[in-house]
Amino acid sequence: MTASDETATTEEMIVCRDVHKWFGSFHALKGVSTTITRGEVVVVFGPSGSGKSTFIRTINRLEEHQRGDIIVDGIELSNDVRNIEAIRSEVGMVFQSFNLFPHLTVLDNIMLAPLKVRKWPKDQAEEVAMSLLERVGIPEQAVKFPGELSGGQQQRVAIARALAMQPKIMLFDEPTSALDPEMIKEVLDAMRELAESGMTMIVVTHEMGFAREVSNRMIMFDEGVIVEEGTPHDIFNNPQQERTKLFLSQII
Amino acid sequence: MMTDNGDITTASVIAPPRSEVGVIGWLRTNLFSTWYDTTMTVISLVVVVWLMWFGLTWAFGDAEWRVIGTLGGQFIIGQFNTESACPGQNCFWRPQVGLLLATIVLGMAWGVAGGGTAKKVALAVAVVAAVMSLIPYSFERMGMDVRILLVANIPAVFLGLAITRYTPWREVKHVAIVGVASFLLTLFLLRGVEGLPGMHPVSVIHWGGLMLNVLLAVAGIVLSLPIGIGLALGRRSQLPVVKLLCVAFIEIFRGVPLITLLFMSQVLVPLAFPENFPQNSLFRAAVVITLFSSAYMAENIRGGLQALHPGQAEAARALGLSGWQITFLISLPQAIRNVIPAIVGQFIALFKDTSLVYIIGMLDVVEIGRAFIQGNPEYLPSARELFIFLAIVFWIFTYGMSYVSRRVEDHLRVGTR
Ligand SMILES: Nc1ncnc2c1ncn2[C@@H]1O[C@H](COP(=O)(O)OP(=O)(O)OP(=O)(O)O)[C@@H](O)[C@H]1O
Ligand SMILES: [Mg+2]
Repeated sequence: MTASDETATTEEMIVCRDVHKWFGSFHALKGVSTTITRGEVVVVFGPSGSGKSTFIRTINRLEEHQRGDIIVDGIELSNDVRNIEAIRSEVGMVFQSFNLFPHLTVLDNIMLAPLKVRKWPKDQAEEVAMSLLERVGIPEQAVKFPGELSGGQQQRVAIARALAMQPKIMLFDEPTSALDPEMIKEVLDAMRELAESGMTMIVVTHEMGFAREVSNRMIMFDEGVIVEEGTPHDIFNNPQQERTKLFLSQII
Repeated sequence: MMTDNGDITTASVIAPPRSEVGVIGWLRTNLFSTWYDTTMTVISLVVVVWLMWFGLTWAFGDAEWRVIGTLGGQFIIGQFNTESACPGQNCFWRPQVGLLLATIVLGMAWGVAGGGTAKKVALAVAVVAAVMSLIPYSFERMGMDVRILLVANIPAVFLGLAITRYTPWREVKHVAIVGVASFLLTLFLLRGVEGLPGMHPVSVIHWGGLMLNVLLAVAGIVLSLPIGIGLALGRRSQLPVVKLLCVAFIEIFRGVPLITLLFMSQVLVPLAFPENFPQNSLFRAAVVITLFSSAYMAENIRGGLQALHPGQAEAARALGLSGWQITFLISLPQAIRNVIPAIVGQFIALFKDTSLVYIIGMLDVVEIGRAFIQGNPEYLPSARELFIFLAIVFWIFTYGMSYVSRRVEDHLRVGTR
């Protein structure tokens, strides 16, 4: 990582302390504690229903946690609306099902939040949007509608849309799970480039090649708790927990 | 199409099988492909030819269309220009100026849309108006002034077009502003003021004919969409009081027949407004028709909102958009798009329902005809011609709406999912 030798790396970007989340009476997160520093790329994995999505969705308050603390870039997540707004414009998110706005062109999808939330002038927003499309490799698709794009292209637009807000943190919830195999690579390449630029990233994924080559740390979830965390090298070669071994043996 | 891959290029030039192309091919595949297709085609053909033969021989032979000519301008403006409504003056020019304002707005819409359906509608209205100036009445029944103002609709369309070409007023919002201003100005012109020549005040009970139907429909259409949106959002609100009020409003207005509401309006609308608020039967009818239509509109839009994928609002929230921004920039535009057919169906129903104002003593285009036949029994045999004529008039308007809506849908479908 290019950013790893900067002093900023030690800065804490996300701090979770004993985070609990219930859906009704269902206990989905049972005391999650971890700290993610600036520029770190963290892969979250684990069985279906283990709380991976719930965990990353609490970080930008798409889900509200009921106990414990989450501090994102020094801002504590509380019910204070201003805090939530501040967090949301600093944390970008990419979803499994892209969730592009089908009634807006690709360019308008990307420009929407900069124009309406950041209140940028139109030409600035457009310039940034075009350079982001350039960056994810599809500037020629700018005036099309999302429905006219392939899945891989749509997901790259979704990445550009999140980046347009110039977030300090990017969350990815299974960004390649809805894609045909031949499109997975183009999306992973865009994410890899982003990681190399020093972005702090949390990626829920079962793409173990990506985890091994790009991530600094891997977190294994099961039944609402962190079972194990460590460097990709340790997780793949020397897992400490039986559950991790079992799970990895099933997916690799 | 053209690729540097030789195989694909060769493959793409293979012609489709002969029988599938051209008129003969189309007929063969669509009408005569099996023996029962052929039977159905022949039977349908016989029925269509027989109906057309019957219809045309009647329309151009036995039918007695004189009643249409006798009523003439009354179909358009009702009793507006009669001696009792506008004594000693000619007031026909006032509704005519209203029409001219409408064609100017249509011309602007053409300019803003850059042609297409807006152009067709604008030209159709102007040409129909202009052609009406050629109606072979004596000048006593239809003066030169009336005819000139009708022909003026053609330049009026181009005036509207020119406004969008040569002035900065060339956006959708400008058309909306000019449209609303024209509508209010038309109401003012129709109402009149004391003391000005040609502006003798005309009581709304004399406003009638197609003009009345169109005024009520335009007010209802323009207002019921935003009110319906408000009700739909209110019904989904998290505030229990707001939600309850909206549900109650929708269920009450949907649960009572419009005729009943129109009767009740004479009693209830006065209660809802301050005592010195200027009211009349037209105003009450407009309020009731608009609210009735809004209740249905609200449910159409709620259906559209319900059908949206939750990921849409979620993605917008993750980008930091506020609740209102999500509603107005993400949810509503998609919801409305998805229910355009239902919305236009509601507009069409509203237009037809404007006829019901006869119940509170207003002479809409249908009632003009019916009352005339009742008052002049010698025309009783012509009732058939009269009502066929009225049916055609309504059909032209409603078909126009449905045509425009289909074009709008085609236009919006580009690339959406
Ligand atoms: N909105 C909700 N209401 C009720 N229960 C929920 C809700 N969202 C998630 N859950 C439950 O919480 C648990 C964790 O869900 P989550 O989506 O975080 O799992 P996940 O690890 O992301 O699984 P997957 O790999 O299938 O995406 C699941 O048992 C799920 O049924
Ligand atoms: Mg998940």
